Amino acid sequence: MIRLQNIEKVYRTDTIETLALNSISLDIAKGEFLSIMGPSGCGKSTLLNIMGLLDAPSKGMIKIADKSTENLNDKQLAQFRNKTLGFIFQSYHLINDLQVLDNVELPLLYRDTTAKERKRLATEALEKVGLANRVKHFPTQLSGGQRQRVAIARAIVGRPDIILADEPTGNLDSAMGNEIMEILINLNRNEGTTIVMVTHDENMAQKTHRLVRLFDGSQVQ
Amino acid sequence: MFKHLFKLIWNKKKQNFLLMTEMLVSFMVLFAVFTLMVYYYDNYKKPMGFKYQDVWVININNSYQTKNTDSLDLYYETLRKIIKSLPQVKDLSFVSGNVPFSNQINQGGLTFKGKHIDHLNNFTAEDSYKETMDLDVLEGRWYNKSDAVSKYKLVVIDADLKEATFGKEQAVGKLLGNDDDKKKMKVIGVIQTIKRNGDYVKAGPGLYFRADTGSFRWLSKILVKVSPGADAAFEGKLYKTMAGYMKNSNIEIEHLTNKLKDTNYFAVIPMIVLSIVSCFLIINVALGLFGVLWYNINKRKGEIGLRRAIGATGNSVSSQLVMESMILATLSLIIGSFFAIQFPLLNVFDLSAHIYIIGMLLSIIFVYLLVLVCSLYPGRQAAAIYPAVALHEE
Ligand SMILES: Nc1ncnc2c1ncn2[C@@H]1O[C@H](COP(=O)(O)OP(=O)(O)OP(=O)(O)O)[C@@H](O)[C@H]1O
Ligand SMILES: [Mg+2]
Repeated sequence: MIRLQNIEKVYRTDTIETLALNSISLDIAKGEFLSIMGPSGCGKSTLLNIMGLLDAPSKGMIKIADKSTENLNDKQLAQFRNKTLGFIFQSYHLINDLQVLDNVELPLLYRDTTAKERKRLATEALEKVGLANRVKHFPTQLSGGQRQRVAIARAIVGRPDIILADEPTGNLDSAMGNEIMEILINLNRNEGTTIVMVTHDENMAQKTHRLVRLFDGSQVQ
Repeated sequence: MFKHLFKLIWNKKKQNFLLMTEMLVSFMVLFAVFTLMVYYYDNYKKPMGFKYQDVWVININNSYQTKNTDSLDLYYETLRKIIKSLPQVKDLSFVSGNVPFSNQINQGGLTFKGKHIDHLNNFTAEDSYKETMDLDVLEGRWYNKSDAVSKYKLVVIDADLKEATFGKEQAVGKLLGNDDDKKKMKVIGVIQTIKRNGDYVKAGPGLYFRADTGSFRWLSKILVKVSPGADAAFEGKLYKTMAGYMKNSNIEIEHLTNKLKDTNYFAVIPMIVLSIVSCFLIINVALGLFGVLWYNINKRKGEIGLRRAIGATGNSVSSQLVMESMILATLSLIIGSFFAIQFPLLNVFDLSAHIYIIGMLLSIIFVYLLVLVCSLYPGRQAAAIYPAVALHEE
């Protein structure tokens, strides 16, 4: 599903050059649940951003769903992200000025859909994460775990093949973290969604199919 | 997408309130400035109604005291001959004090066929007024000697008064007067309205009466048409000649060209002051707007990054931000237009409605342009942010 070949990422600022990723090659199969671990600053987020086409690698090649992605323009990239990828972030990234339902509908706004269709799909996604009774709330009126569930609903509303989650349980206590993990595992099991998850938690990582460890931008396992 | 943006704006009404107030205030100020400009331009376009070049005004205070009308007439007819005999004088006319570009006024009102006409100027002039002023007669004729023995009281009106009373119809031959007056005046001519308040300020309608015997008692000014070459030396000679005849009388000679300049100056000064003040205000608002939009974008980097991640292109993010400002501008303009439209509806300053409407349209266009310009750059900037960077920064 995702194929990375010799990915290298160098961040250049005026004074320093950081090698964030050093020759990473990775093959992720369709329907796989992969976790990435490693100390802070080792390049996990960078790797996920590159997989999510949010950032371009300095060197190397990415293929997603058998499609080479290097020659896509801004519009094609946006479309690709919209259709194929779903994102979950540690800090949720909900829009606080929009109600839960509107937040979940967001990815559908960048597609050809009717308002009715959007509402139906968003409600459905919220039911899947057990938040059907919170549609009219604003994000600030929800707990951290609930917010992350809204973010998951937003990630799955467009039925993407791949979900990229950057420390989805990082801000949550272990009970809430387990709830979120449960949702992701079910998603992977029942819908066959390919999931790549960055985590700091060994227990969470143990529940996935495969674990990749990074250290200083290099793959160590 | 529209509905989505409306929701976003509505849910942020508190933050947007200040921005909208700023836009509203700039609209109202621009409305005032543009309305005044349109008003000035509207008057500027109109013909002057006479040729003021080479016309001098002589102020005479009537030093000659007599109860006898015949000797009064004789005194001033002699003065007329003396002035007219000077080589550079082409024509002259005794007039009431409210000559063009002076701040003397003699106004009244008239209720004609149920319509009330305010600020109606009353002028008294002689037969020679037409030649002296080179009047533009639109309909009928100016006075002549034969009018001395008329059954009716005759009147010449200007185009503005004709428009107000007879509209598009012919006025000559019709009767004019207050509805409750038995004795009406008969219109014998319509002349082009003289812009007595200068190039920019509306003159108002005017009635011209013929000077008759005894009028000299209060015709306090003389208009003199001189030949183009008339200079200061001639002016001195004119003064001396008159002073020689009118012993111990104050004589003052002014040129209409200069008086027009002064009159225009007094109209333009407030305009310039208002423009400068509004310029500063607009610059302030523009900077404020720019700052707020810029701040918004930085505050909303997380949102921008997220939108990019879930499928927005750079362009759609930037057009979303511009669109949001434009929606805010539209809302402010709707509120502003509601206030602005009260001016023509309530006829606050006695200007015709089209002046307000044009002023309003110009300010609407200006505010839209201002908002567009102020949001384009921040919008473009937002589009240029890398999604990964934007997401990183929250
Ligand atoms: N935009 C950037 N500009 C410069 N350097 C960057 C940038 N983003 C990341 N880096 C550097 O790249 C390296 C990897 O960063 P990354 O965010 O991928 O780490 P991480 O493994 O996700 O860490 P954490 O567990 O704390 O989230 C770090 O050394 C970081 O300083
Ligand atoms: Mg990270």
